[in-house]
Amino acid sequence: MTTYHFTYRSVPESPDLMLDDLITVLREHEVQEALFNRICVAVSEAFTNAMVHGNRRDSGKIINVELEVNKSSVVADITDEGTGGIERIKTRRPANTMSEGGRGIDLIQHYASKVSFDNTNSGGLKVSISFDRNRENIVCNS
Amino acid sequence: MEIKSREEGNVVVFALSGRLDLASGATLKENLKKYFEKNATSIHLNLTEVEFINSSGLGALVSIMKEIRLRKGRLTLSNLASYVQEIFEITQLSHIFEIYVTEEEALGSFQTVAAK
Repeated sequence: MTTYHFTYRSVPESPDLMLDDLITVLREHEVQEALFNRICVAVSEAFTNAMVHGNRRDSGKIINVELEVNKSSVVADITDEGTGGIERIKTRRPANTMSEGGRGIDLIQHYASKVSFDNTNSGGLKVSISFDRNRENIVCNS
Repeated sequence: MEIKSREEGNVVVFALSGRLDLASGATLKENLKKYFEKNATSIHLNLTEVEFINSSGLGALVSIMKEIRLRKGRLTLSNLASYVQEIFEITQLSHIFEIYVTEEEALGSFQTVAAK
């Protein structure tokens, strides 16, 4: 297993930088094309939520992204420094068709093999997203 | 994201390339705003070169569509990569957007509607 740790500030440029780093790691491990885009979308959703809803775009707060890659799985942990943590997930309103937001968590849950949400000791949120490289079963635990 | 625009009759055609996400979605909305101010209400977005889209990018497209509907206009999309099409289907946005396989088909639909 190979582990990667990235840290980003909550600034507008960071989602692009994170995606560049993620793509580099996935290519390095030759992740199959079908899963590649799904991982990018799901991790991107968690990252945007961490920046916008967790850290509230406070450039002084960081987002940690840890990636663990082996032959059978890819696991991404995205952690913010916000407050409210898991309450934000529990109290979120589902998107209706004409909503401009609110689809991120649904996409994560659709694409991941497993998702978990946990409070950090400082009150932030850690989203752990697992992808099975050998099968595409979708199980969600929240 | 790179945004190229041209006019095809009454339709303003935008060719998008790159990533459509939080930042570029806002840029796209700002770009189209200029055309709304000129009363353009027939808009086509060609997504051939869109290599990545997430829910923030989808949100920008929904916002644009709502603005066009308020102005009694039409928005069409075309040339979605398979995984982009998949995201539209998962989020059920494929039911509310007019999505065509090719740009030609989309532009043809504007002519058909105008002829009625």
